[in-house]
Amino acid sequence: MPLTPMNGSLLSVQGLTVRFHLAQGEMTAVDGVSFDVAPGEVLGIVGESGSGKSQILFALMGLLAVNGRATGQVWFQGQELLGLPSAGLDRVRGVSLSMIFQDPMTSLNPYMRVGDQLAEGLIVHQGLSRADAFRAAVSMLDRVRIPDAARQARRYPHEFSGGMRQRVMIAMALLVRPALLLADEPTTALDVTIQAQVLDLMAELGRETGTAIVLVTHDLGVVARMCDRVMVLYGGRKMEEAGAEALFAGPRHPYSQGLLAATPRLSDALGARMGVIPGMPKSGGAGPGCPFAPRCGMRVAACDVQPVFQDGVACHRVVR
Amino acid sequence: MTLLEVRHLEVGYEVAGAGVFQARRVLPIVRDASFTLQAGQTIGIVGESGCGKSTLGRALIRLIKPTSGQVLWQGQDMAAMPEAVLRRRRAEMQIIFQDPVAALDPRMTLGRIVSRNLATFEPGLSRAALAARAVEALRLVGLSEDFAARYPMELSGGQAQRVGIARALIGGPRMIVCDEPVSALDVSIQAQVVNLLMDLQAQMGLALVFISHNLAVVRHISQQIMVMCLGRVVELAPRDAFYARPLHPYAQALMAAVPEPDPVREKGRRAVLEGELPSVLNPPAGCVFASRCPVAVARCHVERPELRDFGRRQAACHLLEG
Repeated sequence: MPLTPMNGSLLSVQGLTVRFHLAQGEMTAVDGVSFDVAPGEVLGIVGESGSGKSQILFALMGLLAVNGRATGQVWFQGQELLGLPSAGLDRVRGVSLSMIFQDPMTSLNPYMRVGDQLAEGLIVHQGLSRADAFRAAVSMLDRVRIPDAARQARRYPHEFSGGMRQRVMIAMALLVRPALLLADEPTTALDVTIQAQVLDLMAELGRETGTAIVLVTHDLGVVARMCDRVMVLYGGRKMEEAGAEALFAGPRHPYSQGLLAATPRLSDALGARMGVIPGMPKSGGAGPGCPFAPRCGMRVAACDVQPVFQDGVACHRVVR
Repeated sequence: MTLLEVRHLEVGYEVAGAGVFQARRVLPIVRDASFTLQAGQTIGIVGESGCGKSTLGRALIRLIKPTSGQVLWQGQDMAAMPEAVLRRRRAEMQIIFQDPVAALDPRMTLGRIVSRNLATFEPGLSRAALAARAVEALRLVGLSEDFAARYPMELSGGQAQRVGIARALIGGPRMIVCDEPVSALDVSIQAQVVNLLMDLQAQMGLALVFISHNLAVVRHISQQIMVMCLGRVVELAPRDAFYARPLHPYAQALMAAVPEPDPVREKGRRAVLEGELPSVLNPPAGCVFASRCPVAVARCHVERPELRDFGRRQAACHLLEG
């Protein structure tokens, strides 16, 4: 019987593993990942395609594809989420756990007016009347700076631009004042100018409602802007975890170092070649050794054995 | 040597009229674009979605017919070239696309995909010669010979983009239009593809039109930067001057919005722009950026600023005229 964490964590994930049954056999997308999120904290999960970063969020929300299965422990507000029947999960999801997806168009119901979609959660979970819920929805749309919110609430998702749709998603996710917001690449589909607005809005509303955020992204610039703490993921395993400032000032894992070097900046030398990590991102984990070893310039024989995650980093070459 | 000269180019799409019985009308996407590109150089074209940068890129190689204005390829007006001549000339002007996987026919081998255009450019080549040239092109982009027999579904995004580049290279181009070539790729792969393009450019003297929304990437590969907003060129400048300080408030706002991997700089930074782009269906009377510009004055909303020279650069802003 696992114990509820006593460290004041809002969310405590221990040894989370996500496997998919495929025709070719089992594929491990997330391999024994552990982390905690404190109330009000913003944790960034960074990684490239195939790192398993989105699957972690789907596992927490109980939204894995039918051939996927999550094992390990996920304690959220003193309750084990993994294996919770869907009725119990719905109570958590509608009340204290929300999610924002990368593509706002496919996550809004195209047949429902935006205001009604927002109001639905309040009617179902908080027992508000239709009229009260709609009023609350309009005021939330106004908070995410949708101009003329009362009129826009009567429109359908396709009548909104990409940036406006993502604001609607944020309004919907934060309307119930959740304790934890899971955001999966929320600004990847947006222009940089709109991205900046949407990120600011998430941060501002998150602070106001005291909502903790787990932000999954491939963009280290977004992490730098938003996150208190960062977890770097590769091939389904946690490579490094550190405070945001510490990670950017002194990345310790060779993969974190490579990722930072490959990220273009406005301060890069004009006309210079870009920093690279050779090879391609690994998808699916669970080899015996360090998943990054095939691309790592510091690889030694010891890397054929999986390094233990210890003192914030999983690497044989890090001097402790 | 001037490879490409663009003069007052206008590009539009025909759309349905305002009402059921109204005549069809042309929706202007690119307005009055002019620039020149020297052989072996890169122009970076930046702007938000809907600014017309991709439409401009396609119009440069006449995948879309411009509404008016001229595109001169090595001094010759492309509009005056007969279709048969233009088709062969396309060997010299190629394009690579944002979604590298969607740009490849899933039912063809990579060798066939890469060599297919060559049959048009150099009719009469034997199958064996086509296959040999495909292998050669794949090698240039760092893919081994055995890729020629594979299919697109076996590729990662980065490999698919390399195949797209090989296809563009096979006819011996002088210019490649790169339409957001790395936006869909992982960070570590992005850098590999940009470096590959830079190497090929140096080896083969290629000119590039590098279309991107990412100012931090464009910085690495371009000698000239052109900023577009709602179909209009608002600034055109040599790279060093541009990155030292963009002149146009829109260019400044774009630069300020690039998130940098530096929490000390990013924390406490606020978005500079409020609001969103006006619709192309209903473009503003004055400056295209006026509705979002933090320094706009009354004149900006009613009178459109012309692109004017400021030393070696050009910008379209009333406030710069002083």
